Amino acid sequence: MSDQEGKDMKGRPRGLLSSWRFLVALLVAVVVYAYGWRETEINIHTLITGAPDIVHIVTQIVQPDLLARDKEYQAAYAEFQLPCAATPPSQPARSESEPYLVLSHTCGSTGEPLSVEGFNFRPNTRGTLRWTPPVGTQRSLQHIDSDENGHFVLAVSVPAVEESEQVQEIEAELRWNVGIPYPSETLRVVLDKMVETVFLALMATTFAIFIAVPLSFLGARNLMGGHRGTVILYFAVRGFFNIVRSIEPLIWAIIFAVWVSIGPFAGVLALGMHSIAALGKLYSEQVESIDPGPIEAIRATGANALQTVIYAVVPQIVPPYLAFTIYRWDINVRMSTVIGMVGGGGIGFLLIQWVNLLRYKQAGVAVWAITVVVWVMDYVSGVVREKIV
Amino acid sequence: MLEIQNLTKVYDGGTVALKNVSFTVEDGEFLVVIGLSGSGKSTLLRCINRLIEPTEGHIIWDGVDVTQLSGEELRKVRRKIGMIFQQFNLVRRSSVLTNVLSGRLGYVNPWRSAMGRFPRKDVDKALSCLERVGILNQAYKRADELSGGQQQRVGIARALMQDPRLILADEPVASLDPATSHSILRYVEQLNKEDGATVLCSLHFLSLARAYATRMIALKDGEVVFQGLPTEIDDNRFKEIYGEDAIQVEIR
Repeated sequence: MSDQEGKDMKGRPRGLLSSWRFLVALLVAVVVYAYGWRETEINIHTLITGAPDIVHIVTQIVQPDLLARDKEYQAAYAEFQLPCAATPPSQPARSESEPYLVLSHTCGSTGEPLSVEGFNFRPNTRGTLRWTPPVGTQRSLQHIDSDENGHFVLAVSVPAVEESEQVQEIEAELRWNVGIPYPSETLRVVLDKMVETVFLALMATTFAIFIAVPLSFLGARNLMGGHRGTVILYFAVRGFFNIVRSIEPLIWAIIFAVWVSIGPFAGVLALGMHSIAALGKLYSEQVESIDPGPIEAIRATGANALQTVIYAVVPQIVPPYLAFTIYRWDINVRMSTVIGMVGGGGIGFLLIQWVNLLRYKQAGVAVWAITVVVWVMDYVSGVVREKIV
Repeated sequence: MLEIQNLTKVYDGGTVALKNVSFTVEDGEFLVVIGLSGSGKSTLLRCINRLIEPTEGHIIWDGVDVTQLSGEELRKVRRKIGMIFQQFNLVRRSSVLTNVLSGRLGYVNPWRSAMGRFPRKDVDKALSCLERVGILNQAYKRADELSGGQQQRVGIARALMQDPRLILADEPVASLDPATSHSILRYVEQLNKEDGATVLCSLHFLSLARAYATRMIALKDGEVVFQGLPTEIDDNRFKEIYGEDAIQVEIR
């Protein structure tokens, strides 16, 4: 809006709000955003009411399954008959040193209260009371906490299991950790896959460099402007870069997972493909922005075309090429963590599996590993780029 | 002897940079080309070593028509023509020594040089060229760490490496301060007097031109408007070349 239009007949400036163009724009904006709100099903209410649902996921993710310890067990058994028959099972034998259970009665019916008392167990230890019917599956009845004398009393009710002439088994098992913590199986698997992930990014970036560098010269207007043929080649290369670059690595991963079957090789190809185009475009723009002065000077010495490229072009493009390459490798490490979700190998495959199995403690390990690796790569590439550019 | 015959250059956009330019340069001359910006000085110098392709006309150097050459023959002529640029045109990220050595590219084995290797005698020659222009101690620095005057001396050393019989100097001092300008032009004068190289040098300032030229030509809108001795340019001639509003600025 010019100054003229912003003033009324008396020459006083009018407020922004009284301009009809502004009001129309405002109205259009309101309609667009209202429609967008509806279309994307934005619902602030669920954002608040749904929050408790993620608490247990988050608490498990922040307590990842990093370390494990060896466990020792102690168990004692008792027999119970459901329903009562002519001769109910006898109470377990009492011992001076071994743990044993004492039941309030050894036969009865479903739902009846039953008291289970334990003696000579390991003091101050946790465990579980389980019920094993002769037919069907075992079930856990209650947690056990032994006191300082290794004694506990539990009040349970006879569970609704199938009645049988055979005896039902009651088991009290206590567990405790021994020895020093060591890396969990999860951590070992994650580290193994993380190495695969980092190498996946390395291989993809390296392959991309070898193809993108020669292509970048063909995609530089200042080098390819000479003849009709070279101009056609220039447009072909640029078109290839733009099309390939506009297809996300995840889509490439799906294509290559079918092509070379699921695994890290598919991931290397997917990231490599995208990187060729992305690097190629950045490289060729760098070639286009070099200083023509040195080229002129080197040509004037009687140098041939190869010498001109090596002495006048290469020294100008090596540092920016390195910077772009490190940046790309950085992106590829980040991308390789998710490419596994669609079959491209690396840590993403584990992560999506654990999430689908609701094993969030394991998923947490993968999430933390990704965070650490990406952070370290970010930092390292930042330092390296600063050094060379 | 260098003969420019009816040289015309029309750029793709239709701009006529040179119109039917003809003159002769005898061996050993220090010919200064003057004229306003855009008068065609740079185009003229670049046509002589074919960095720019002339549209019409001929350039005869020692009986060879440079405009008819191509490939290997053109490179053999170019390596005998040293060129010095207004913006120095050094490879900024390469070392001073590498920049000087690149003046030898027309002589050495292309494959060896592609690997960055130069014969020992060329490296020695490069160091002595740097010594000659007084910056031997800067040999291993990056070119862009040097001051403007020092960079232009690297440019001169690079031209020296070519054992040039002709020097094309395109506004060699236009980016430098007056004191440095004189020291640079003295090196060019040395090339002319001691090494016997013919010099074609374009300059902005008439006072500098008068100090160094053995002969001068003036370009205006792509045409030669004056040829003669520096002393022949009086106030009227000056206004002819530079326009009515121009005032002479002295550089001493």
